[in-house]
Amino acid sequence: MTSRPITGMGVVTSVGRGVRPLFDALCEGRTGRAELRGFDRSRFRAQHAYEVDDRPAEGVDVPARATALLVDAIGQATADAGLGEDLSGVPVLIGTGLRELRSMELWWREGGEFRDAGLHFGTALRERFNADVTHTFSNACSASLYALALGCDLLAQEGPGAPEAVVVAGVDVLTESMYGLLERVHPTPPDRVRPFDRDRTGVLMGDGAAAIVLHREAGDRRVHATLRGVAVNCDAYHVTAPSPEGIAKAMRQAYDLAGVKPGDIDLVMLHGTGTLLNDEAEAVAMADALGDNVGGPLMTAVKSMTGHTSGASGMVGLTMGVTSLADGRVPPTVGLDNPVDEAADFRLVTGEAAEARMTTAQLNAFGFGGINAVAIVEAAA
Amino acid sequence: MSVDVVVSGLAVLVPGADSAKALSAGPPEGAEPVEPAALVGRKGLRYKDRATQLGYCLTAAALRDAELLDEEDTAVDGDAVGVVVSSNYGNLDTVARALDTLREGTVSATSPMDLPNASSNVVASSAAIRYGLRGPNLMVCNGATSGLDAVHWALTLISAGRVPRVLVIGVEPDNNVVRRLLEPDGVSRAVDGGAALLLESADAARARGVRVRARLGAYVRTAGLEPLIERLAAGGAPAPVRWQLPEGAAAPSAELLPGAARAVLPPHLGRASGALGVLQIAAAIGWYEDGGSGPVWAVCGTDADDACAGLTLREPENT
Repeated sequence: MTSRPITGMGVVTSVGRGVRPLFDALCEGRTGRAELRGFDRSRFRAQHAYEVDDRPAEGVDVPARATALLVDAIGQATADAGLGEDLSGVPVLIGTGLRELRSMELWWREGGEFRDAGLHFGTALRERFNADVTHTFSNACSASLYALALGCDLLAQEGPGAPEAVVVAGVDVLTESMYGLLERVHPTPPDRVRPFDRDRTGVLMGDGAAAIVLHREAGDRRVHATLRGVAVNCDAYHVTAPSPEGIAKAMRQAYDLAGVKPGDIDLVMLHGTGTLLNDEAEAVAMADALGDNVGGPLMTAVKSMTGHTSGASGMVGLTMGVTSLADGRVPPTVGLDNPVDEAADFRLVTGEAAEARMTTAQLNAFGFGGINAVAIVEAAA
Repeated sequence: MSVDVVVSGLAVLVPGADSAKALSAGPPEGAEPVEPAALVGRKGLRYKDRATQLGYCLTAAALRDAELLDEEDTAVDGDAVGVVVSSNYGNLDTVARALDTLREGTVSATSPMDLPNASSNVVASSAAIRYGLRGPNLMVCNGATSGLDAVHWALTLISAGRVPRVLVIGVEPDNNVVRRLLEPDGVSRAVDGGAALLLESADAARARGVRVRARLGAYVRTAGLEPLIERLAAGGAPAPVRWQLPEGAAAPSAELLPGAARAVLPPHLGRASGALGVLQIAAAIGWYEDGGSGPVWAVCGTDADDACAGLTLREPENT
């Protein structure tokens, strides 16, 4: 049975930077929603996003913002874990939906220096942390939990080359092409992310990065929580539409890997993108996987405040879920007034943060192409 | 690695070579581009980017070679097959085209069919959907070492018991966006093709009586070519008789692995990038099929890259 201590965490989103400040802000229901900052707004019908406000000047975009957020999150996590700034030999696994494609877009339209070595994150992580066992996975919106599964598998290996610790991170920033194409497929331009609400109009993107350090053994390190298992699959159903069956299968597999039953789940950090398709499919799958325990766990969707941080979102959810277990508080799903029928029996946290004693949390992340990832974490003893 | 993993099927598609042997022999210059419609039919190719189309061809050919494709062109026991794809340039053309349309027109002028193609994992997920591969599905976009890294992650998935078989694809398309990106490096084109390998445990291959083409050994990723070679040697890998060289820089010092014959892909194929590692393994298998024998080391990445990766392989037993 998997049991790996989470010994460091770091996060940055439009709502805030640092695990504790972000968690407190989310519990207060603060959102990072604002008018589009990096693109020419006149080209779009949708006018809002959840961007990190880090550009040097209003309305002027700059390259390598994803890299900067990633470096920030990893720096926080490694400092928190006492791992130091030299990550040579330490596997660093990065899940992302869009890599540095925003930098590529800026180069394509506006020129400037850009090489193919700038598409993935290894080049920058080598410069900053001397990291050389870096892996960039471009696995859509489940990327960082997929990376977590692989990190888990590395720690399960034996032998002289097997790592003692791995860093797992997720990162994404808005790209103009993805922002535009997402708007293109929404009948009404989305105005805010309202997961599981009947009147939701769709998804808006957000910037974010999150990272954790996972150790093989806790030793005398401080432990935030224990990772009990991560299931990954591909339902091979459709390039964009999710499959409730494939998602439910990933959930059941996660329970098996973690050695937990549906009744053990106290908290679910939902994928909850606010799209018409995801929320229905996720709710149907959740109800299927939980069965009679559907009314048991508290559930929330922090994308209502951070926007959809794509490949980073699974790891953002994990850092916040872990903090919920430790703190006994769960951030609300902002903007959720009338839940969809499929989620009618769920204990969704709305309005204000909920307080509860919790031991086990489930983290969901699903991506285009039917790639599903579900993780189970347990509160530190 | 506690599980012995073997290659039990493969496919090669680059201009001028559609087999491991032809790749090993060296594809001729000036060959015609790969034509996906001629290989897998026109159906379902519309709206798919070049990398995805090439990925379909490689998937079908490798599954067939591994005796895992049924009469309906669907994978046999697809729940037991994962997919790991390596590509750095895969969807750059879609991103650039969608952005041009946005900037020069409006959002309404973009095609909703481009939405899945804007996500870099489209090659991996599309291959899974078309051929019914429901194991873990992973897209590796990891720079110069990406192809060998993809093989490493396939080995990891199998060793961890997540899935018995993994299809590894390395593919890079050639187009005007990629060419502009490569221009400062003095490279005129990308390979516009790739290779695929079906990996499974030696026991699993033996159980279903399929022919083994190569056995995979140790994998290492570290900064610098010389340290990489040292690490591979220190790990106990038998010294290579053949060394598949990285691309992109001057030939490695003659003092490195002096006993190994050095093999490169013909430079006229263009930059192989994320496809390179997978092509290297396919080329080594082509060399085995032509009577070659002994350990081969494949190396991607040079001192100019963020790191180098190396993988060792050996010919199948009893051949």
